[in-house]
Amino acid sequence: MKARTLKRIPLNIAALLVFAVSIFPVYWMILTAFKPAKDIQSATPKFWPSSISFDNFDTATSEPHFWDYWRNSLLVAGVGVLLALVVACFAAFAVARMQWKGRAPFILMVFIAQMAPWEALMIPMYLIARDNDLLDSLPMLTAIYFVMTLPFSIVTLRGFLGGIPIELEEAARVDGCSRFTAFRKIVFPLLAPGLLSTSLFGFITAWNEFAFANALLLNKPEQRTLPTWLNSFSNGITIDWGAIMAASTLFMLPVLAIFLVLQGKVTGGLTSGAVKG
Amino acid sequence: MKRRLLVAAGVAAALTGVAACGSDSSDDKKDNKPAASNAPAAGNGKTVRVWLMKGSAPDDYIAALKAKFEADHPGAKLDVQIQQWNGIGQKITGALASNDAPDVVEAGNTQIAQYGASGGLKDLSSKVTELGGKDWLTGLSDPGKVDGKTYGIPFYAANRVVIYNKDLFAKANVQPPKTRAEWLDITKRLNTGDQQGIYLPGQNWYFYSGLLKDEGADIATKSGSAWKANLDGAPAAAASAFYKELQALGKAAKDGDEKTQPEVLAADGGKIAQFIAVPGEAETIIKSNPALKDKFGFFPIPGKDASKAGAALTGGSDLMVPEASKNQDLAYDVIKLINSDEWQTKLAQATKQLPNKTTLSSAVTADPGGAAMMEGAKNGFATPNSPNWASVEDNNPIKAYLTKVMTGTDAVAAGKEANASIEKTLNTKN
Amino acid sequence: MSASKADAVVATPTQPPRNQAPSGARRATKPPRKPSGIVKSVTPYLLVAPAILGIAFLLFYPVVRNVMLSFQHYRFKQLISRSADYVGWENYQEILKDSEFWEVTRRTFYFTAVNVVAVMLISTVCALMLMKLGKTMRILVLVGLVAAWATPVIAATTIFKWLFRSDNGVVNWALVKLGFDYEGYTWFGHAGSTLTVVTLLIVWQSIPFATLTLYAGLTTVSTDVYESARLDGAGPVRIFRSITFPILRPIFALVASLEVIWIFKSFAQIWAIAGENGPINEVRTLPVYAYQQGMSAKLFDMAGAISTITVVILAVMLVFYFRQMFKQEREADK
Repeated sequence: MKARTLKRIPLNIAALLVFAVSIFPVYWMILTAFKPAKDIQSATPKFWPSSISFDNFDTATSEPHFWDYWRNSLLVAGVGVLLALVVACFAAFAVARMQWKGRAPFILMVFIAQMAPWEALMIPMYLIARDNDLLDSLPMLTAIYFVMTLPFSIVTLRGFLGGIPIELEEAARVDGCSRFTAFRKIVFPLLAPGLLSTSLFGFITAWNEFAFANALLLNKPEQRTLPTWLNSFSNGITIDWGAIMAASTLFMLPVLAIFLVLQGKVTGGLTSGAVKG
Repeated sequence: MKRRLLVAAGVAAALTGVAACGSDSSDDKKDNKPAASNAPAAGNGKTVRVWLMKGSAPDDYIAALKAKFEADHPGAKLDVQIQQWNGIGQKITGALASNDAPDVVEAGNTQIAQYGASGGLKDLSSKVTELGGKDWLTGLSDPGKVDGKTYGIPFYAANRVVIYNKDLFAKANVQPPKTRAEWLDITKRLNTGDQQGIYLPGQNWYFYSGLLKDEGADIATKSGSAWKANLDGAPAAAASAFYKELQALGKAAKDGDEKTQPEVLAADGGKIAQFIAVPGEAETIIKSNPALKDKFGFFPIPGKDASKAGAALTGGSDLMVPEASKNQDLAYDVIKLINSDEWQTKLAQATKQLPNKTTLSSAVTADPGGAAMMEGAKNGFATPNSPNWASVEDNNPIKAYLTKVMTGTDAVAAGKEANASIEKTLNTKN
Repeated sequence: MSASKADAVVATPTQPPRNQAPSGARRATKPPRKPSGIVKSVTPYLLVAPAILGIAFLLFYPVVRNVMLSFQHYRFKQLISRSADYVGWENYQEILKDSEFWEVTRRTFYFTAVNVVAVMLISTVCALMLMKLGKTMRILVLVGLVAAWATPVIAATTIFKWLFRSDNGVVNWALVKLGFDYEGYTWFGHAGSTLTVVTLLIVWQSIPFATLTLYAGLTTVSTDVYESARLDGAGPVRIFRSITFPILRPIFALVASLEVIWIFKSFAQIWAIAGENGPINEVRTLPVYAYQQGMSAKLFDMAGAISTITVVILAVMLVFYFRQMFKQEREADK
């Protein structure tokens, strides 16, 4: 036992190092958010605030339309990702479980769709939105986030589905279940964790998106999304770093919350292969 | 079955959420518009949308402007929307090309030419006389013109001055300098111990282009139809040598710009003797560190000799009317109101920025910061008047050039690189 | 072995090894209760229809519009006037003649290669490490990775710019404490050091996804397999070679190809780190170049052409992967 513990020391040190490197920038962000203005620009770094201050959070939350931004972002990212998930689920099932002509080209199309140069697509997307009177439209933005996250969702869900042995389904169908009942009773519970982790990824993408939200939502301040708010703490000559950090901290809370809620399930999802044939 | 239903229900709920959101916001509008619905039909319930940049005008100024405009135009409503600086270029571009553009848009003076050249702005040349255009600051009105036509109406201006800590100057027994040589001399004396002579980030290209102008060169000049950049010549080298010498008399980053300056100064608590900024910045700093109240003095950037202050690049904003605006007449009325002496004076006093006319300078000269700024403004100039200048500023090669010179690269070699980039951008055909 | 390899390449994350099951079993789709022929043949098309429609309208159509722009003279004026002339290959000719474009393209390749190799190496090591860790340490590392992953891009870029500040940045401070001469070192003064910061940022942001996916793949191997291998006297190297690596390979291939796509396309990080204060023209990659042409200079036609070329390059780069994938798919169809 002791020898084992000893052997683990270098490994644990390496693990601590990985933890430190990944968490430090996040720690620095949260720390800065709570620092009083004086500490933020101190000449030598301060790894602990001299006093805790909520000023930065006050500044960040007192922007006009703060709650509208939250509602819009949750709506746009949430609906977009949910739609992508449902549509991807159907497609992934067809790809992973059925034989049909055009399956290979479909997979190719989905893969190529991931290469979409979104920064450059802003212009055609703007033109399409303008020509169809869809500027200043949250549903348009939702549709964009839907298609931004769709290809990735199909690819990963196909992987998760592939990880669920078909034998389980077949066994159920031998027992007299229909294909859908088999899917619902056997596959879906096993797939749920995969769905959750895929949705987390999609959510992060949509939640962070600024460029389209900035260019397509022009005229209604109450219709902007949170990334606009994150970008609002500069007035051309100065930048309020503390407020940006406080806003970023608040901004990443939903993602962390989703992860914490799903924690067991996501890692469970990632280990769905534990079901052995 | 339950789970699938749940998903379906979730999607449905979410979708109605979107729909509900749409109707929500229109409800909001109704709620916010009691004035419009109660008012006589004279203004036909028209709403004039105005885009102002964050920090351009204080809230109470906007409220007063709104009240005044709506009183003058019964039935009309003034909707002032504050825009963020990040991504504003795309946003204005998108707005000008849209079917439903805002009616008045504020833009930085160096940005107007590109919008004017695109055909997306209303030509306001015929209104110049009526608006008193002969007295406009040229640093605002010239960049608002493309091919002799006026698209941008001057809004406000600001240029950079030197802000100094009066206590530290008194302690070192030095006076605000009149020439560059004096300036270097006193800054050296102030730069002792943990005290910084000047806090000057390496990438303040506004300041640099003033130095360059004093050496007798512009960033770029047009000869015939082609632009030629001038960062590889002797004037550029002299200007950057002075910048470098001054910059070394403090601890500011060589690879940073002036945006972190206010926070650094507020945190510093009185160890920095001087910095270069628009005068209004002093107040931002005092707001976050009240201990610095009454500590700051101002002087114009010293010239090469004592006869006049250093040249100052005029910063500021103009107002424009998009072609796609549906209320161009009311839009013009808004501009006319903002351009009036009364509202210009009010704005200048509230923000410590220069009003758009030379005749109104008394609005600010009572203030020491304003007086110093006005000295520089007498010798003011603008960036190269090209529709492509805005995209030079987007990834300003002068910043990279300055950092290179500060860190020891040969000024001529660095200047050649910057020149190539500037010339390529300026000479791109639209 | 070859059958399981075939199976493996088709696989995506968390594809479990089908060590026990005969590899043909998965394709035994003859259902015990046959639905009628028409239903059976139509169902898959119905299932993929929403995805195809979505991609066609919201992605394919904009891409087509983008390609159309690249064959027009379409700049700010045309955006306003809403009419533009077709100019054939003119934009492409102009770009391909420009030495700047080739320099940027070359840099994009190097940049992608360095980043992908770094991400894959570190992620594999981290994933293997996670397997060996005790519960507490494992959760600790997972928390760290997820926190990094959840950090908004704008916050991450702001923090990294800040950590590497030359006047009061944490990195310079730490390096000086460790005895290196980094007092006031200007990270954003040179192309090389700026790219280093960008690389560190991208690697930091990419590792969580890659590590978690690889780790998920590894956990699908039951511990019994390792136990029995160990009982058979296999050493750690042999275990890695004959058990771990074959399992990891398909997932590794997928993650690597996704990382190639994502890193090749990365824009926000480079733009935010170098756009304002760095030597952006010396560190830009193809997406940044396209953005500069399109969004800054408002040469929408050129941006369209550059982004089209970018997609073509990416597709060609990944053709090898596709080919192999299709070969496997075809074999699977037999």
